[in-house]
Amino acid sequence: MKSHLEEHEITAAVAGLELEAAVEQHLGSCVSCRRQVFAMREVIDARLEDLEAEAPDWERQRQEIMLQLPATPMARPKRRLWTRPLLAVAAVLVAAIGLRALWEPAPVVDPGVVSELPVEQILAEVDAMLADDSIPGFELLDQGMDDAIFDNGTS
Amino acid sequence: MDPSRIDLSQADDALVLRAQNGDHDAFGELVNRHQRRVWMVCRQYVGAGEADASAQDSLVKAFTRIGDFDRRAAFSTWLTRIAINTCLDELRRRRREAIVDDESDGDEAPNRLDLLQDGAAGPEGRSMQKQAVASLLAQEKELPPRQREIFRLRFYAEMELEEIASTLDVHVGTVKTQLHRAVHKLREELGAYR
Repeated sequence: MKSHLEEHEITAAVAGLELEAAVEQHLGSCVSCRRQVFAMREVIDARLEDLEAEAPDWERQRQEIMLQLPATPMARPKRRLWTRPLLAVAAVLVAAIGLRALWEPAPVVDPGVVSELPVEQILAEVDAMLADDSIPGFELLDQGMDDAIFDNGTS
Repeated sequence: MDPSRIDLSQADDALVLRAQNGDHDAFGELVNRHQRRVWMVCRQYVGAGEADASAQDSLVKAFTRIGDFDRRAAFSTWLTRIAINTCLDELRRRRREAIVDDESDGDEAPNRLDLLQDGAAGPEGRSMQKQAVASLLAQEKELPPRQREIFRLRFYAEMELEEIASTLDVHVGTVKTQLHRAVHKLREELGAYR
């Protein structure tokens, strides 16, 4: 037989948690322990009473709610059973492609390949082009057209 | 679950079925049965000023979406979830604290429970009880949000542990642990120890 309940047992009794049979038996017979439980419950109950005093008039609230209801509830959306498996398959495919990309070794670039470009030849062609006075892109194709553009609206 | 709650739940199911077919009277009966709980839940989240509006909003939403109710949980649990989500949406909109501070401040009140232990009858006793309630309220605010939420759903919305677990989508063991910690802390702060 317990002399008095432990703190955690009093707490459990206040919280309304499951109690061991021995604890319940003790609470039934020990005024001191029971008083500790009731003291806390009394304060909580008093707080609940305060809250209930703030509550609205239930009938009036019900009527207000009824006035706001639509004629019918929203129709239940049809479940598209095929969408989830399809999304799952798509996710697996994306993951597989991603993993494959990670696994494949990056192509090794041979530094010699880059230097095989005919750099000298390209530079010579550019020099030759620059040496030429006329730059084809800027040559006037038709002098008459040029005059017409500048004379437009002025004569 | 308590047998009387099972009966209530079965009666709810019949009303839900009718409400799903657009029967307003059946939904009105569901409102009668659950509006107190819904209001009390909203009261804990948004405070006295907004509780009525949020409760009404929750119940109208429940009717609108009753077609989605699939009976995997009890109707009361589903409805409580709607109420909590409605309140959280409102809180997000207002960018306020998750559980609103109550209007009364609650002064320091050590050993209130000890004072109450010899009975609270008579004007003096009632005054001490008021002080103890104010102190409880102040200490509740000091609890971590999850503990405070569970404590209030348990004692003020008077929900079963399993229902709280289902509503908050946590394990019932978590609810028990958090509730035990909350009560322990409150008892300690209210001065249950000598």
